Amino acid sequence: MIRQTTAAVTAALALAVAACGGSDADQAATIPDGKATGTIDVWAWGNEGEILGELTKQFEAENPDVKVNVTAIPVDAAHDKILTSVAGGQAPDVAMVGTTWMGELARTQALDEAPAEIDQSQFFEGAADTVKVDGKTYGVPWYVETRVLYYRTDIAEKAGITEAPKTWDELKQAARAMKAKGGAKFGINLSTNNWQEYLPFVWQAGGDLADGETFTLDSPQAAEATGFYKSFADEGLSPNTTKQGFDITPAFVRGTHPMFFSGPWHMGLIEEAGGEGFEDKWAVAPMPAKQTNTSFVGGSNWAVFKSSQNREAAWKFVEWTTKPETQAAWYEISSDLPANQEAWELPALKEDPNVEVFGEQLNDAKSPPPFPRWEEIGTALNAELDKAIRSAPDGRQAAQKINETVSAIGAA
Amino acid sequence: MTSFAARRRTNIAGWGMASPFAAILAVFLLVPILASFAISFTSFGIGNIQDWTSAQFVGLDNYTKLFADDAFVRSLRNTAYFVVVGVPCTIVIGLLLAVALNQGIGRLRGLFRVGYYLPVVTSIVAIAVVWRYMLDPDVGILNAALAQVGITGPDWLGDPRTTMPSIIALGVWRNIGNAMVIFLAALQTVDRQLYEAARVDGARGTQLFRHVTVPMLRPAILFTTVITSIGYLQVFEEPFVMTGPAGGPDQAGLTTSLFVYQQGFRFFNLGYASAAAYTLFMFIVVLAIVQFRLLRSRA
Repeated sequence: MIRQTTAAVTAALALAVAACGGSDADQAATIPDGKATGTIDVWAWGNEGEILGELTKQFEAENPDVKVNVTAIPVDAAHDKILTSVAGGQAPDVAMVGTTWMGELARTQALDEAPAEIDQSQFFEGAADTVKVDGKTYGVPWYVETRVLYYRTDIAEKAGITEAPKTWDELKQAARAMKAKGGAKFGINLSTNNWQEYLPFVWQAGGDLADGETFTLDSPQAAEATGFYKSFADEGLSPNTTKQGFDITPAFVRGTHPMFFSGPWHMGLIEEAGGEGFEDKWAVAPMPAKQTNTSFVGGSNWAVFKSSQNREAAWKFVEWTTKPETQAAWYEISSDLPANQEAWELPALKEDPNVEVFGEQLNDAKSPPPFPRWEEIGTALNAELDKAIRSAPDGRQAAQKINETVSAIGAA
Repeated sequence: MTSFAARRRTNIAGWGMASPFAAILAVFLLVPILASFAISFTSFGIGNIQDWTSAQFVGLDNYTKLFADDAFVRSLRNTAYFVVVGVPCTIVIGLLLAVALNQGIGRLRGLFRVGYYLPVVTSIVAIAVVWRYMLDPDVGILNAALAQVGITGPDWLGDPRTTMPSIIALGVWRNIGNAMVIFLAALQTVDRQLYEAARVDGARGTQLFRHVTVPMLRPAILFTTVITSIGYLQVFEEPFVMTGPAGGPDQAGLTTSLFVYQQGFRFFNLGYASAAAYTLFMFIVVLAIVQFRLLRSRA
């Protein structure tokens, strides 16, 4: 058994030996016209970390005097490792940063402001919002993902449904029919502990997580959304609990959970798990609507650290990755969706009709504000949502309890 | 005079030889322990990690806040549950296995000894994958077996009521090997003549166990109880792999160490996390003192 009581102790040590990151860089960087030179250390994580080398080779070919060192970090360790590196004064030049980590990292004052040469309006609005913290721009959107509805067309057909549900009412009816007539164990899978699936319903109802620094999940709109979300579990249309390590992909292929909301990575996973002949049995569709059909936009941004010894080359590299052509090339390497709207006009993005659904959804997708304590807020949201689904008497009280808990953590 | 000088020389030589080790202990253990104690009285958080001098001194605020924090109180209850049920189970099963291996099972003793000790040395991640699979309500072997005898098994890790029992089962299974090895060693030292004398007096079977084996093993039992309790109070890996860092549905698997980890390394509330760690440390000290008192008075 690991003696984890010493956890905080070890962290304290990291701080004790921490050297202060040299921050002679109080002015925003500019991107020089010439070619980039020197060494750029880039941290990326998950699948992106594994395959980023294929892209950086192209950058090195265009800039012969530059060397890009990619460090791949396991996805579960990424958030903590980046923060620890800042604490220890060991941050890289460039890091891939989750869109919801921006507020937290900006609070550490380790991030370099983005140069004005990078036009932030070329990105999807929801994605560009994630790099703005307290009126400053701390990074650049790299790739995006958004959540859409995955559904089993064969089970829908059996249940007498010919079109993807377009409204909340149709979604409920579809779930009921797939369970009753389609022979599925559940009608849909709505995770009980995932704010990324839950918040879109609040947005769709016309509510929001917060107004400035005041949380607003006690609004009637949030109450309606929470009640609707919870009703699926109450009626047995969706599981009322979510286990560690639950994998929706095999459940979707088996047909026990014929609908769920997720991002583009599930297209590949389903193709792989479904095998030959499965491609006709499923499809994706935009979010069903109440007032709007807003979805969640996630993905990753690039951040450059103030402590970087090669700031200009670092920004040059970041700028290069956001060009439409580079974004399309990266899509072909990784299947990551371009954050740059212009890239969607290129032929590579026009081949797959499923991908176009994501492109359409990205026009109405948002993310929570960049609160510095988002990790904590998100964790509390998940835990409270999970409890509310099983034990709250109604949506209004559930939403109020969630609101109280996140308010106690605070937006500032 | 000469003896004093000689002793001084020996002392210097002793310290000289111990100094690399002492220095390592001081740098990697003592300094962090003292630093985290100091940090537990500050507001040290994400905004202070670049410049640690900017943290504010907040006195006992972190400690008072902890006991008003539902999640922390929940984590104390969960940890107590794990210790109160887990420790007796580990001791009793470990003892019974040791006795069985010591007497009954002849040629296969080595095999069984390895079998029960294997979980102690196996990677927890590999164990967790298998256990999560076995406990799955849809495809797991446990509920399939229960179904054979007409029982509908619960959703072990999905239902808050069965989450902690599942984690305890894993914890006990993983740790009985340690208890067993200590008891086996202690059993070898029990004088055979005591059993013979007891038999002459007419003692049989369980009477021998109760009146000879258990009293003779009391020091080993108390030692194992103290060590296991201290380990179990800090339980981290089992809930971490079974329910994830947030502790699963209704935070039913959130132990205090998991709470410390979450606050410290996911949220970087290092002041708050240090306070939680020291609170847990106090509980461990109190429990250890109580158990050492018992050990002294009875041994």
